Amino acid sequence: MENNFFERLKQNPRPVVVDFWAPWCGPCRAIEPVMKKLSAEYAGRVDVWKVNADEQPDLLRSLRIYGIPTLVAYHNGQEVARRTGAASPAALLPLFEAALSGDKPVRSGPAALDRLLRLTAGAALGILAIQGHFSGLYLFVAGLGLVVAFSAVYDRCPIYRALSSRLKALLHKEPANHPGA
Amino acid sequence: MFKVNEANWDRIARVVLGIVLLYLGLGGVVAGGMGIVLDIFGAIFLLTGLVGICPLYMPFKFSTKK
Repeated sequence: MENNFFERLKQNPRPVVVDFWAPWCGPCRAIEPVMKKLSAEYAGRVDVWKVNADEQPDLLRSLRIYGIPTLVAYHNGQEVARRTGAASPAALLPLFEAALSGDKPVRSGPAALDRLLRLTAGAALGILAIQGHFSGLYLFVAGLGLVVAFSAVYDRCPIYRALSSRLKALLHKEPANHPGA
Repeated sequence: MFKVNEANWDRIARVVLGIVLLYLGLGGVVAGGMGIVLDIFGAIFLLTGLVGICPLYMPFKFSTKK
């Protein structure tokens, strides 16, 4: 089964985005309309395959996929990008672009130095708060340290990603059509 | 909105200095009014180092970033 998958990937004339999903998985259903829209947009240029995670556990293990939905972009049979969790169309678009071009998508989020500085500052503020036994001002310092440290890794946090994409979708929601209005 | 005007070395130096000053102030090494002054300067250095923008450079159009 596994070899068959990789063989098919290699022989496929077009780049492929593979959607690893399961019927019981809510976030998988949530991204379905987005995936349909994108696959229609990229029809003839990028193929979309759906793989039921329940039916192919060995394949998922060999690809080190530990959560669904996971989308993996392949160009010439080689993985170029992957994304786990529900996401907005804007977040899924780079996967299709990566599959098409074969270039790894540019990772958004803080640069390495920013991450390092924020983590260092967050840790230092945390240590200061511990020294002050979290009393009064030191509790504020601890909170500040947490915020600074989180700002270093926010883009890697699945909870933040899920919440922010929901929030963005809510904010950009088109006004509902009121029949008879 | 604001352009980053600090080089990497500048930012690292500010964050380190900010942490040291905050340690001296908040950590209780220097007490009293001087401690508060160190806290304020430490917070300013830490903040400007983290965001990479120094408002003092702006009016002079100075930048350590090439």
